[in-house]
Amino acid sequence: MRRDPVIAPAVVLIWGAVALFVLYPLGRLLLLTFWNGGPSLDAVRGLLGDWTHRAALVNSLLLAALVGIAGTVLGFAFALLAVRANLPRWSGRALDAVVLLPLISPPFTAAIALIFALGPRGLISYHVFGLTRVNIYGLWGTLLSETLTYFPIAYLTLKAVLANVDANLEDSAFSLGARRWRVFRTVTLPLTTPGVANAFLLVSAASLADFATPLILGGTRFPVLPTQAFLQITGLYDMRGGAALCFLLLVPALAVFAGQRWFTERRGGSFVTVTGKVGAATRVKSLSPAAVLGLAVVCGLVVALVLVCYLLIFAASIVRGLGADNSLSLAHYGHVFSGGLKAVRDTLLIAVICMPVGGLFAVVLGFLVSRTEFPGRRALEFAAMMNYALPGTIVGIAYLVAFNDPPLALTGTAFILVVCYVFRYSLAGTRATSAVLAQIDPSIEEASASLGARRDVTFRRVVLPLIRPALLAGMTVLFIRAMTAISATIFLVSLDWSLVTVRILEGITNLELGQASAFSMLVILLVYLAVAVASLAMRRLNAGSLGQAGTLLGG
Amino acid sequence: MATATTAERGRRLELQHVSKRFAREGQAALAAVNDVSLTVEPGELLTLLGPSGCGKTTTLRMVAGFEQPDAGRVYIGGDDVTELMVYRRSIGFVFQNYALFPHLTVFENVAYGLRVRRLPEARIRARVGQVLELVGLPGYERRFPNQLSGGEQQRVAVARAVVVEPALLLFDEPLSNLDAKLRVQMRAELSRLQRQLAITTVYVTHDQEEAMAISDRIAVMHRGSVAQVGTAEELYRAPRSAFVAQFIGRVNLVESRVLGATGGRVAVALWDGSLSVPGDGYATGQRLSLLLRPESLTLVPESAKAAEGEMVVPGVVRGRTFLGEKVEYAVEVGGALLQAVTYDPTRRGVVAIGARVGVMCDAAAVRLLAAEP
Repeated sequence: MRRDPVIAPAVVLIWGAVALFVLYPLGRLLLLTFWNGGPSLDAVRGLLGDWTHRAALVNSLLLAALVGIAGTVLGFAFALLAVRANLPRWSGRALDAVVLLPLISPPFTAAIALIFALGPRGLISYHVFGLTRVNIYGLWGTLLSETLTYFPIAYLTLKAVLANVDANLEDSAFSLGARRWRVFRTVTLPLTTPGVANAFLLVSAASLADFATPLILGGTRFPVLPTQAFLQITGLYDMRGGAALCFLLLVPALAVFAGQRWFTERRGGSFVTVTGKVGAATRVKSLSPAAVLGLAVVCGLVVALVLVCYLLIFAASIVRGLGADNSLSLAHYGHVFSGGLKAVRDTLLIAVICMPVGGLFAVVLGFLVSRTEFPGRRALEFAAMMNYALPGTIVGIAYLVAFNDPPLALTGTAFILVVCYVFRYSLAGTRATSAVLAQIDPSIEEASASLGARRDVTFRRVVLPLIRPALLAGMTVLFIRAMTAISATIFLVSLDWSLVTVRILEGITNLELGQASAFSMLVILLVYLAVAVASLAMRRLNAGSLGQAGTLLGG
Repeated sequence: MATATTAERGRRLELQHVSKRFAREGQAALAAVNDVSLTVEPGELLTLLGPSGCGKTTTLRMVAGFEQPDAGRVYIGGDDVTELMVYRRSIGFVFQNYALFPHLTVFENVAYGLRVRRLPEARIRARVGQVLELVGLPGYERRFPNQLSGGEQQRVAVARAVVVEPALLLFDEPLSNLDAKLRVQMRAELSRLQRQLAITTVYVTHDQEEAMAISDRIAVMHRGSVAQVGTAEELYRAPRSAFVAQFIGRVNLVESRVLGATGGRVAVALWDGSLSVPGDGYATGQRLSLLLRPESLTLVPESAKAAEGEMVVPGVVRGRTFLGEKVEYAVEVGGALLQAVTYDPTRRGVVAIGARVGVMCDAAAVRLLAAEP
């Protein structure tokens, strides 16, 4: 429908916002990297001359590849167990609940827990096995921690893929005389290949962008790009160097992102439907009892490890000093609710502001790109995705470069924190909106128009009520991310506005791990509460469950 | 927007040289609708009939304002509405899938257009009540669409469209999602309702029987153009093209040529013989098609003699479908298969497959169709 008096202003508004808060900062970042009184490659060339930075580039790529492989394998095992093993309902739910933990935890959680468990005086390595030479710092520790943190992304992706493989295809292979392993190898696996590739890229991207884990566990021996960029700026006050490191990170991040989009749009998309009918009415026999047992053992061990990690965090938060002075104490929580209260209040306030702002932005954008035609629609869709797709470190440094000085001196304000979250984490809501809209026949909107409703009236009275589940999911994701994010916002906080995640980092660097654990527990509790409320509301909207919100988190 | 008054109902719809092309990726643009001109008189029900892809739905959607024509004008009640947004056109549109708002009750679905027009609550209650009564759904106000059967959803969709007293009522294959029995029942109801309300109506369907049952006039569409407009009877008796002849009812088309023409009668070649049929303006030697409806071909004993104005040729029954009140035959005559129908088989008997028969053709029932260029 052309000549619509409402769409055009909405498009202009959204484009303006995206241009200012996505394209402009990235442009400034590139400008700082490649312009020094004239076009110049000095900044990048200077970096590559430095051993640490070269190592950081290689390490980042190596780590991303390894975490991608490990996370995908683990995720596939979990997905097979969940979808194909005919588990009783409760154990499937329990699996989901445990797997969700790493996804909604604040950064550092797995890292702190691994230090407690496998560190120099680790509870498992030293106190259980008596080992003294275990070194959790470096590549292996980082790999372990990131795998535990990010395999749920692969799990959620592959669960949907596996559940949507048409059971008739496997059944017909069986009917043609193939045995289980052959069916798995010749039918199931080829059909899920695009999904597997997609999961690998998603996990790799998460690892590539991870700033918190290598900051704690990488140490000086295992530098990666995000931490190097952070140190370059906060330690050496070298903005240009930081920007150049961001550029080195930008290239592989964009490549992974492009690959992932290619897989979802060209190939994977055809196997994954938006309905997410997990556990469709199939009697799939593709797993032998022995295979189920094997998967159950592997997944059980991982689940146990995850639970031990969280138990350790909990334990650390309620004793004076875990491993040294194990007497019960609420001192850490006392600190959280006195000296740390401001950070908690600030974080909550910002998260609560983000929800309606980002939620509305998400659904309006989702509606515009999937239901209207305007010039530059695809470009807008892509541009709006940039801040989400790029590692937080890049976004944070770009914001620092763009918004640190007048006329747009915004760093350190609550406003820029909200803006950062809205443009970084609204994508889940936008995608959910597109997914819901894909299931709503356009004739519903046409019916409204034929009855005399303008486009904005139709949006308010028909579209918005129908996409409430998407709005809810989008707002939940925003809340969770606002509670747990650090990589971008660490560059934007100030004395006026601090964040819980930054306090956790301070706790770790000051070796006050108990305090950091108490903060972490608080965040985990708040986020679980939010997810519980959201899934309750979701059930009342008759539109899905935790699983769906989980899927959105994973994407 | 003020509510439509009774005087505004039943306005004339006029399409003038309307065209619409759809861009296709990597191909030439597809002309979905090509230079269509139509007039629908006040209170009339006109059906756009044609096979899928003939442009009938696109035409309807341009009338509604969902699509903009690339060329041509659309007038409602003499006003040029070509540039007008759909929500300003005062139309009621009934969608193929009904498009009921799933989050609203039946009452709120029907009240939607009235609420958009900001009518007072009391008027809304009264109007919705009246209309639900009219479509036979009183007491359904508080149900949700997913609690209704297909037929009930259909009625709600109609109620929602007529409650705003639109100048035009537009139906896009409204019965195609119903089962056969309900379809027949609903089309009678739609027809009654439309006559009662006297709203100018455009109705799109691909079902010729439905079109013939419901329409004042039918516009047969073919490849984006209007092939012929007329009442069901006109289209059946005097199709102007082979396409219309084949689309309205069943027909045998037999290639022929003019043997001679004199004073309102034309002698045409038929099965090695000659038949004299009414017709004007044909020249000797001209090629044409003879249009033989199955019911004008009668199976007679092989030995039967033709009376004046009739013709009998030998044939062999090759296929037979018994349908209760009639039997449809496929008869081979001169190497070609013809369709023939015999009614009341209980009284007139059924001919066996393989039987040799005479096929009698009544000259009065034969129509001539000039060969298409």
